[in-house]
Formats: sequence, structure tokens, C-alpha cells
Amino acid sequence: MAKINPAFGKELNKYGAVNFNACYNCGNCTAVCSLSTEDVSFPREMVRLSALGLEDDIKASLKPWECYYCGECSTHCPQEANPGELMMSIRRYLTAKYDWTGLSGLLYKSLPLSLAAFILTFAGVIAFAFSVGFELDKMLKFGHLFEGIAIGTIGLVILMPNIARMWYFTILKPKVKVPFMKYVKSTSELFVHMFTQKRALGCDDNQFRWLEHFILVIGYLSMLFTTVALDWFGTTNLFVIILGYVMSAIVFVVTVDFVSSRMKKNKEVSKHSQPSDIFFVVWLFLMGLTAFMVRLFIDLDILEMNKWLYIFHLTVLVQWALIIVPFGKWTHFLYRSFAMYFAKLKE
Amino acid sequence: MEKESSIPNGTNSNSPLGVGDSNPIKNITYDALVIGAGIAGGEVALNLANTGYKVLLLDKELSVGGKMIMLSKVFPTLDCAACITTPKVSEISRHPNITIFTGSEVSNIKKLSDNEFTAKVTKHPRYVRVEDCTACQLCEKACPVNVRDQYQFGLIGRKAAFIPFSICSPKAAAIDIDNCTLCGACEKVCPTNCIDFTQETEIMNLHVKTVVVATGFDTFDAKKMPRYGYGQYKNVITALQMERELAPTRPFNTILRPGDGKVPDKIAYVLCVGSRDASVGNPICSQICCMYSIKQAQLLMGALPMADVTIYYINIRSFGKGFEEFYQQAKGMGVNFVKGKIGRISEKESGNLILRYEDINEGKLQEAEHDMVILSTGVLPNTGIEKFFESQTLTLDPFNFVGQSDALASPAKTSIEGVFVAGTATGPMDIPDSILSAGAASSEAISYLINQQN
Repeated sequence: MAKINPAFGKELNKYGAVNFNACYNCGNCTAVCSLSTEDVSFPREMVRLSALGLEDDIKASLKPWECYYCGECSTHCPQEANPGELMMSIRRYLTAKYDWTGLSGLLYKSLPLSLAAFILTFAGVIAFAFSVGFELDKMLKFGHLFEGIAIGTIGLVILMPNIARMWYFTILKPKVKVPFMKYVKSTSELFVHMFTQKRALGCDDNQFRWLEHFILVIGYLSMLFTTVALDWFGTTNLFVIILGYVMSAIVFVVTVDFVSSRMKKNKEVSKHSQPSDIFFVVWLFLMGLTAFMVRLFIDLDILEMNKWLYIFHLTVLVQWALIIVPFGKWTHFLYRSFAMYFAKLKE
Repeated sequence: MEKESSIPNGTNSNSPLGVGDSNPIKNITYDALVIGAGIAGGEVALNLANTGYKVLLLDKELSVGGKMIMLSKVFPTLDCAACITTPKVSEISRHPNITIFTGSEVSNIKKLSDNEFTAKVTKHPRYVRVEDCTACQLCEKACPVNVRDQYQFGLIGRKAAFIPFSICSPKAAAIDIDNCTLCGACEKVCPTNCIDFTQETEIMNLHVKTVVVATGFDTFDAKKMPRYGYGQYKNVITALQMERELAPTRPFNTILRPGDGKVPDKIAYVLCVGSRDASVGNPICSQICCMYSIKQAQLLMGALPMADVTIYYINIRSFGKGFEEFYQQAKGMGVNFVKGKIGRISEKESGNLILRYEDINEGKLQEAEHDMVILSTGVLPNTGIEKFFESQTLTLDPFNFVGQSDALASPAKTSIEGVFVAGTATGPMDIPDSILSAGAASSEAISYLINQQN
């Protein structure tokens, strides 16, 4: 028998949950959700589990990741219990639980700690720049090297173990029997969802948001590829240069809309922003913009100015790679697609 | 009991108190003004009149009887609503101490001193001399204009010259001047020449000693929840419309679904439409929807023995005397109760409806097909009541019902001394509670009248 834990609500509130205990179990949220099905019914179940504090059941569930937050449930909730934001908060909570280092949870729950991490990384970048005498060439070379090392290390040391933990919580621990061949056969599911987020298309009135998000993902991944694999800042290849411009422009132009809707709070999905949400979109915007400017200054040969601009870009990059990617909102890129993969395994 | 016998009932002295001498404003005097002639207002008027006080009973509608006179049967006794209302209505109509103004409104109520209120009464023209009309319905036949009948909640049509409904009181025709084409056909056929297009709005100065507010309630406009498709899907109706289909004076003389006139055999009730729902601005329970839906379900089981009736609910609140037994009786008759609020309704080509809900007992999303859906719309306050009062403020409660100065100690008193409140004007309640509330209001009014005269 599971033990109920009413105090769990307080923990969830730290991840951004609001008023979910007002729920009177009418099921309206599940019924208006266009992604909910007979076999996979949510979000009311998650509201129930949260109110009762059944942490193991929440950790074993993939449903939080199967919600793409159109916000209909919150709009129509008769008790204004905000199930949509609860699902979002559970995703933050799960991100923290999957993370073996425990740093995600600390950063999600504490803004001062997050700010301290940002300041610390900034100080590190300045110290590094000082150590190389603020020479642009050396900084550029290091930056490129850093990108490669960071991607490899974080992927291997943080993200892969975390995915393994997610697998443990959702498949192994609840004793779901999955034949090995199913793991192989279902892999297509993983990549389709990773690169298309096609499930979001099932949300009502969400086609534009899906398109925006899709373009952003493609733009971001291409920008990453252009800078890391094709060495955009160092290359003389005209095609790569133009590709980099286009992709970085896409990233900062599209994120403008994401940032502004979080500021305007005009949609259900953007009404409740946690610092982690703001960091994610703002840093994405800054990355695209500063990368664009750095390359522009190289092409215009404004080297003295570019030094400082690059330090700014490197700061954003380092913060992104060391804070937001491993311990912040970036991970939803992996967890969402793996959740669809695991859900396929559970079928 | 009448203390100031020097002023006879309904005195109309043409005084120069009005604006112009050419159109003098009539002064009228009564002991009590009762606003609203529904079951609560009617009860208050009768209690006051039987005690000897002169009462002006005023209603904005063309008939007295309020909402109850429209209903089919009452819960949990299944007595005929009209059979309880009509004797009461005729008693009110015939009572020598009661004057009825239908199609009338009141405004500018001023408290000059204790026992002294003045108000402006506006009597809209009916364009029919009620005392001459025999309700022969020849004008109805002659009138070429068809509009939706508001007294049948839009289920059928009526003419612009019309008898409001078969058991209305006063039973007399009226001209719906907004839709009238002024063709004169009704005037030509009227055997008593009672149709009079020269009638004008009458404004009167009213003097009374006490005021009772019995303005009743409004129901939630289901069009405000587009996900239920009311007004868009023809076979989605409101519970008040179903009341008419079930009433003895019903328009179709059977149960039909409006889309194609088919007799339905898989009927769904959606509870809490516009009540207990903060997302549409009404977080409180309407107190009557569970029970009237269960009542209608039982009546439907009787009218259509082969039909399946399903009630989708959040919680069944059968709190009154005999209510739980009534609920169990419905279950025993085979009414299907499903716990789960309906999220969305969609329409099939056949006119059937797909209801999407989470079956709370199973925790699973489900879809069910029904050929007719009844929305049990919630109770809302009638708005603008506080605007009737000019010199003092009539306080409303947080849900915009008329505020009770002390809901426990003196539930019929309002924020203005000498102004009392009865029935659903104070909040959602069923018929017995409305009548109880009316009793309380009339006692309070009577003791106020007596105290102030001593």
C-alpha cells in the first residue's frame, strides 16, 4: 500500500504548481483535453496523485510528458485549480527527480541559487578571458573547443544517466515487461517525436505554436551543428557562413515571440512563468543574437568591439551549456521524446 | 386592520406634482409594494392582503405566476406545478386588497421616513383593454407575424398579437409592439373592440409604507458555454425547455427533439451548466438542478418507457426532505447516473450528439452518444435590482443576490429598514423554501407596518 503524503503539495508549489488542491474531481479537464484518450486519461489523475502525494506513482507516469500544454484544461476548470500549470510543474519536478546530481531541483526551487550559478559562470568566463589577455583569436579557439567538450561530457555524464533513471522509474521499477525486440522496433518513435514534436499537433488551436516551436528546434539544432561541426566563426566557406546567419537569425527572431508572450501572459500556456522558463527563452534569444553579431563583426572586421561582444556571447554560451542544458528546461527536448518512446514500449 | 382608511385603495388624484399639466402624473397609494409576482411575491401579497393591507403587486411580465406556473411537476412529490400555482394565482387576482400591475416596472424608490416610501411606476401599454378582452384568440389567428414564443422558451412560435400562455393571468391578449407590423388585422377581427393602439406608457407616483423585493432569479445563458453547442446543435436544449415539453400545457403534446421531431430514446442530462463553475463566473451551487433533473428523468421514464436517461453529474446533492429517497427512486426506475462533468459535446450528421467526459469511477476518458441533450442550467441573480432604489443602498451579497442583513437571525431583512426580500431574490432555493421565505418576509413586513404605526 502506498502511503499518502499531503505535504507533497508544498513541494510541488515550489516547482510552480498553483491551487491544484481546489480540484473537486469533476473530470472536466480530462474531458476537454484533446490529447486525452480512454487508455491515457489525464490530467485529473495527476491532480489526484499530487493531492495525495503519491510520489512513486507520479515518477512512474509518463502522462506529464504526454501533455503539450494547450491550456484548455485550465481555461475551463470550474474550480480554477489550474491543472495545466500543475502538469507543467510536475514536468519540472520530474526533471529534478530524473537528474542524479540533484542540481536541477536546487536550481528550479531557488532563484538566488540560479542567479549565483549565472554569476559564477560569468566570473569564470572573465577570468578565462583575462588569462588569455582578451585576445579574440584565442578566445574564439577556446570557445569552439569548449562547445565540443561540453556537449560530449554533459551528454555522457549528466544526460544519459538521467535518461537511464527515467527508464528505471517508468519501466523497470513499475515492472513493465518489454521484450528486447520492442526496444529496437520502437526507436523510430523516439526520433520522429524528437525532431517533429508531432504530438503537439493534436492540441486544439495549436498548429501555429507547433510550427513556431518546430522552426525553433530545427533552427537551434542547425545552429549548433553549424557552429560546432562546421566551425562557423572560423570558416571561410561562404555556404557555411550564410547558413549560420540564417539559422541564428531564426533562433532569435522566433524566440522574440516566445519571450513576448511570456511577458504579455496572453495565453494560458504563458500565464505562469517560472524563472527556469524565462531563462530558457531569454538565453536562447541571446545565443542566437550574439552569435549572429559576432559573425557579423568578424565579416565587417570590427575586431576591437568584437572582443567584448564575444565575451558576452561566450558567457551566454557557457551558462547555457553548464546550467540550462544539463539542469534546466533544455532537457524537455530529451524527456519528451523519450517519454513517447517509453509510452510506445508500454503499449 | 387598515389603519389609514382615509386614503382609499388606488386613489388616483390628478395632482400638479408631475412635470407638465398637459400630462399629469397620477398619484397612487398602497400599504405595501411587492416587486415580482412569482410564487414568492404572490405569497407575500396574499399574506399581507389577508391581514388587511392594501398591496400593489407588480411584475414586468404579462402574467403573474412567475417561473413556477411554467413548470411541469414539483420535486419530490411530483405534484403538478400548474395545479398548485393556478388556484393561488386566481386567489391573488380576485383578492379585493391586491392590485396587480403586469407589464410594469418600478424605479426611483425613495425612503422619505419610516413607513413612507415613494416610487415611480412605469406601466407599459399592452395595447389591449384587459377588462374587455375575452381571450377568444381571433386576433392570434388574424395576426400575420410569427416570432419565437418566449413563454415556451423558444420551442415554438407565437403571433405578435397573442395570449401569453394558456393559463396566464390576466387571461387577455397583448400586442408585441416590437414585432407588430401595425397592419390592423387584429383590430378588425376583435369582437369586443378591445385592441387599442392609442395606449401609451403610464407613469405613476407611488406612495407605500413598505416594500418587498421578490424579483426571483434568472437562469444561466447556455450559449456562454460554446463547448456544449447550445444554440448551435438543435438537439441540445435547456432544462426549462424540457419543463415545457413535460408540462400539462405542453406545446407538442409529447416529447420531441427539436432538430427533426424524432421521439428521443437516449437522453442525457448535463448537470452544473453555469453553476459551481468559476470559469463562467458562477462558483456557487444552484441547489435545484440535481433535483429537477432527477424529477424530469422520472417523468421522461414515464412518458417514454423505452428511453434511456443518463444524468452526468459532479455530485448529486439531494439534501432536502425526501430528496435522497427521490434520488434512489430514480435509480430504481433505471435512470443511469454517471459521475463526470461533460467536457465537450459534438454533433453527428444524424443530429445525435457525442458527449465527452471522464468517468470518475473508472478514471478513464469516455465518449457516449445520445440523441438529445438537456443542459441543467444554473440559477443566477436577476441583475439591476439595487438600481430600483434611490435614496438608500440596497446591498447585494457577493454573488449579486439581494443581501440579507442577517441571514440567520432575520433572513427577510435587507440593508434598508422597511424593505424586505423573499424567495430566490436572496439566493438559489427550491419552491417550498421560496414560500417559506415569502412567509418570513410577509411577517417581517406586517410587524414593520404595525410597529411604525404605534
